[in-house]
Order: sequence, then C-alpha cells, then structure tokens
Amino acid sequence: MGLSKVRDNIPYYSDDLSTPAEGDLRTYEVFVQTERGKPHTYCGSVDAADDEMALMFAREHFGRDQECVQVWVAPRDAVIRTDYDKDLVFRLTDQSYRFAKGYNVGMKWREFREQRDYDEYKKEDLREHF
Amino acid sequence: MTDLADAHKKPLVQLLFSIADDKLVLGHRNADWTGLGPILEEDIAFSALAQDDIAHAGAIYGLIADITGGDADHLAYGRTANTYRCCDLVELNDEFDWAVAVVRQFFCDHFEHLRLRRLSRSNWTKLRQLASRMLAEENLAIGHADQWIVRLAKSTSEARGRIQHAVTKLAPLTPSLFEPTEGMADLEAAGVYPPLEAPMFDAWESMIANVIDETGLRAEFRAPAKDYVGGRHGKHSADFAAMLSEMTEVYREEPAAQW
Amino acid sequence: MSVSAGDNIKLDWDRQEDEARLEEFDARIDRGELIEADDWMPENYRVGMLRMAEHHANSEIVGALPEGEWITRAPSLKRKLALIAKVQDEVGHGQMLYRVSQDLGKPRDAMLRDLITAKTKYHNVFNYPAPTWADVAAIQWLVDGAAIMNQKSLADGSYGPYVRTMKRINMEEAFHFKSGEDMVLTLMSGTPRQKKMMQEAFDRWWNPCLMFFGPPDKESVKTGPFMRWRIKTATNDTLRQKFVDRFAPAALDLGLKVKTYQRDAQGVVQRNPDGSAIWTIDEALHPIESEKRWGFSQPDWDEFYTVIRGGGPLNRERVGLRRFSYEQGAWVRRAVLGRPTGAPPNRN
Repeated sequence: MGLSKVRDNIPYYSDDLSTPAEGDLRTYEVFVQTERGKPHTYCGSVDAADDEMALMFAREHFGRDQECVQVWVAPRDAVIRTDYDKDLVFRLTDQSYRFAKGYNVGMKWREFREQRDYDEYKKEDLREHF
Repeated sequence: MTDLADAHKKPLVQLLFSIADDKLVLGHRNADWTGLGPILEEDIAFSALAQDDIAHAGAIYGLIADITGGDADHLAYGRTANTYRCCDLVELNDEFDWAVAVVRQFFCDHFEHLRLRRLSRSNWTKLRQLASRMLAEENLAIGHADQWIVRLAKSTSEARGRIQHAVTKLAPLTPSLFEPTEGMADLEAAGVYPPLEAPMFDAWESMIANVIDETGLRAEFRAPAKDYVGGRHGKHSADFAAMLSEMTEVYREEPAAQW
Repeated sequence: MSVSAGDNIKLDWDRQEDEARLEEFDARIDRGELIEADDWMPENYRVGMLRMAEHHANSEIVGALPEGEWITRAPSLKRKLALIAKVQDEVGHGQMLYRVSQDLGKPRDAMLRDLITAKTKYHNVFNYPAPTWADVAAIQWLVDGAAIMNQKSLADGSYGPYVRTMKRINMEEAFHFKSGEDMVLTLMSGTPRQKKMMQEAFDRWWNPCLMFFGPPDKESVKTGPFMRWRIKTATNDTLRQKFVDRFAPAALDLGLKVKTYQRDAQGVVQRNPDGSAIWTIDEALHPIESEKRWGFSQPDWDEFYTVIRGGGPLNRERVGLRRFSYEQGAWVRRAVLGRPTGAPPNRN
C-alpha cells in the first residue's frame, strides 16, 4: 500500500498518556438562517476558544450541510434562561383574550350583517306599506 | 469573448492544469486529515475546505474537457505523471504535522486567490464566470488560514516555534508556485490571463507579509530563478510519485470501468 | 452496552432517589414527554444516557477511520468528494454527540482520553478491516443501513437533546446509505473483477452487521430500566430481524450470496488456521411466510465477545490512530487553551 507513513504503521501504545488532562473550550450556541426573511433557528453548539473561532467552526459545521445565509453564535453563558421547574412561563388561567382565536368575529360579522339586512328590509317594508 | 482563439487553447490548458492539479493535490493532502484533526470542530472545517479545493479542481478539469475533449475524472486520474502541472509545495507529504498543513494552506491559498483574481478578469467569458465564483470561496479558505497563523504564532512559545519551523521549512518551496506554465506570456498579452498591477510574486509576498508581520514570524521568500524547471513543466518531487500512485490505486485497477 | 464511563460516573441501582420526584419523572416518561438537559433526572438515567451518548460519539469518531483511509484512493472525483463529506459527517456526528454527553456531565477531553486509553468502548463493527474499495461500499450500505435502523429507534427515545441529534444524524445518514447503495449497484453492474471484489467485501461485513445490534436479548443485561425510561426503544433482536428483512432480499436481488460461518455437526464454528472465518452459503436464509420474516443464521457470538474484549482484528490500530491524532494535536489545543477563553485573539 502507498499510504502515508502514519497510516501504514499505526503506532501502538501501551503506556499512559504523556500529556496532562486538558480543559474543554467555551461552549457557544449556534443559530442559522436558511433563507433571507426566515427566522434564525437554533441548531446546536460548538466548543471554541473565542468568538472568532466559534463563528468559523459554526459556519463550517452547521452552515454547510444546508443552504444557509447567516450564522449566529453566542456564548452559552450569555444566554439567560428560565428554569423548567421554578419559573412558570405560560399562564395557566384563561389566556384566550390575548389570542386572535379568542375572538369569534366571524360569527359577529354574520350577525351584524344579518341585522343590517333586516334593518334595511324593515325600512323598505315600511316605505312600501305605509 | 465567448469563443477562445485556437492559438490560446494549448497554453490555456497548461495554465488550467496547473490550477486544477494544485487544487486536486492540495485537497487530497488536506482531506487525508479528515477524522484526525487536532480539534473536532476544526477537523470539520479543514475537511470542508479540502472539499472546496477538490470541487474546484473538478470544475476546472470540466472546463479543460470542454476544450480538449475527454472527461474530468480521466483528466484527474488517468494522466502520466509528467503531464501533471502541480508544484512542489502542494506535493509535499505533511505526515500529519498540523503546522506544516496550516502554513502550506496559508501560502497556497493566497497564491490561489491571486490566480483566480486574474482569471476573474479574463476576456474569455466562461473562464471569467467560473473564476469569479471560485474566488468567493477561496476567500473563505484565506480567512481560515490567516486566523490560524495569527492565532498560533501569537499563543504559546511551543506553537509559535512549530509555526516558525514550518514557515522555515516551506518557504524554500514557495518559488515552485510561481514557475510560469508554457505559453503564459501569450495568454497575458491576449487578456485571457490578465496580469495584476504588480508582479505575482510581489503581490503574493505583500499579502503574506500583511498577515505575518504582526506576528513577528521570520520568513524570507524569493521569486523562482529564471531557469527554474519544476512541476509546471512536469518535473515533480518524489512525494508526488507516491501520492499519484496512491490516489489512482483503485482507478488503475480498471480504468475503463465505472466505480 | 458494556461501557465504563469514568470513575465517578457509574450506574448504581441501589442509589436512593427522591421518591416524589422519581414518580413525577416516571410519569413524564409515560406521557411521552421529552427530558431536557436542565431538567431534574434520576442519577441512573443521567449516567445511562451519558454512557449511551458517549459510546455513540466514540463510535462515530472511530467509525471515521476505516473509511478515512480510502479518501486518498477513491477512484473518481465524485466518489472522493462524497467519501470526504461522509467521513466529515461522522466527525460532525461525533462532535454533536460529545456535546450532548458534555452537557450530561463529562468533559469532552475526559471522553477522548478514556477512548484512547481503552477505558471506554466504541462500536465493535469498526474493529474489522476494510482492505478493498468494495469494503467502503459495503460499510456505507450495510453498516450505515444498520446504523439508521438503530438510530431511527433511538430517535423515539426520551432525552430531548439526544433525540434531536438522532433526527439530524439520520437525515445525513440517508445520504451515506444512498451513496453506499449507489456504489454497491455500480460494482455489481461492473466487471467480473468488481463483482468478485464486492462479494468478498459483503462476506466480510454481513456477519459483523448482524452483531451490530448487540447480543441476543436473553443475554443482554440492563435492558429493563433503560427500556422503561426509553433510553433504549427497541430490543437487539427486533432490530436485527428488521435489518435482515430489509437487506437480505436486496442482496439476493443484486446477485450477492449471503454467507455464514462454516459449522460442524455440533454447530461449532470452523476456522482457517489463521483464525479467519470459513464462509459458506447461509442455508437458513429464506423467507418464513407464516412469520412474515426472513430466517437467517446467527453470527458467531464468541467472536463478538472476543472483539468486545479488545481481541478483534483491528482494535489496537483503531485506538492507536485515534491516540496518535490526540497526542499529535495536543500542542494546538494547548495553544488555543493558553489564551483566556472568550476573548478574541490579540492581533496587536
């Protein structure tokens, strides 16, 4: 075989590692936007030494396997989050007043138009008979 | 210009081979790192850039095939060693020394950027369009290389020492980049491969200096001697023969077959 | 899975958990809810999940090696690009799975060190050699096919970060599998030499793939609680059967012969003097109409346990190359870690 020396003669080690344990790099959260006008979506995280490295890693890792127009990275510890257990986010009481579907305007339009037509009819009716 | 003059075909093919072969060989070397990089995320990034190089090579072989006939795979795999036009610098086996791999990428990508910039001003439309597309991607590779050179040269003394060592080792191979291919002067005069404002070597050296001056790395470069004959004329390093035989090992088993 | 995930990260079924929280947790699992990294979870759930994600990550990283050595020899530009991208994906999957594991409490560096000193394991299947280009085809078709089956079931699990990673990985594996199928089809439509090469590679990978899903269920310990918490979602035998049902007919269609170990009258596996298997047509491989499944011969489970204990054909080489990469790259990581984290590189 004509592989590189390393691949042709893979070293075998029986001793312990010669280097001391290393720490991990800083974790960055990654968001990508797949098309202009679409929202950025969370897609994973990378470990990097700093912002510049994080952006480079994120771009090559998460920005290439899909069409992608922008990549954001943010240090994980810069993301302030609520606690699943302690913090109630969504209210449990009736929230229908703050959603469009909480307002049945369709029915009200129908009733409104019916009333208007009836009023018109009554006017016509009155004119003809009196 | 939509049609290439017949007189320019032969020299242009030589020039295009030098670019495609450089990119194929560099991509081949760098892709060998996939799975073995120093940091997982960097492994992914470096492999992505190697894929860009090979994809660019494929596109240029395709363009050559349009001129000469044949197909990209046969041009990439099926030629005899002395018809390849790649240079010593890309041929070097890095033996998984990351400093050598990064410094080489740094030297080569700045050179490639200049070559593509020239082609992106070519008066042959097809070439101009292809080169412009590649130029944008080449700049990604430059950003990657610059970032690593600065980062490593300015970190631990160990890393700085390794980068310096690689620079010193590779600098003598850099003249091989600048060896002109056969008939290049005609292409320059005809506007197929328009020259830059400054000579290639000067432009390249100043781009390299822009990055390494602030790092304090020491490097001396020289332009190739007038009578230099190397890869651009088919005279290759020993590493190239081994690489070519490895690269075509499967292909050569049945060159006519589909794989 | 028999994985030791470091000294202080151990399963302990005698551990006392807060009864009320455990009950609430179990109820959430029963409702099919997904657990997130910052949720409360029983320690054995966390450890079990960590071991599984770590083993999976290790497997991706080591799984990059057998095919990685063919990148420099891929026979066409398209195959070369596809193979680089595929191996790169394995590294990417490893990265994502290590990230999941890191968030469960073990630093990535500790995981990489445990892997290269053989303290933790990776998937057995990657201890087999890939001596020809056709092995790349066989790996991408069969091993990735098996991996998709396994990962599809894992995507029904209960741990949110892992489940999302599985879904993403499966989308990428679909390309690996298709590319493998394309290569197998190309070789089986090719010259006699290519067909022979493909058959030999298929022989090398069929049985390791049957072992891929782990030992038969009766021998598999710990299946209970992990199934209950939906860390595991399908049994080894179920997945193995699905694999045979999917791939046996396809292989026969392509003109491949499906083989098993030659066994004597007592069922003892016969081997060549050098220990390699003697392959013979698997007579048990045929559809069983009444059970709506394919019959097949079991692999040699003694071989499985030998390989797991480190006696496989390439255990040393795989770990050795990973270790080479780790030690060779240490100066780069030292340089990167040497700077205070979070600050941009000082350009002045």
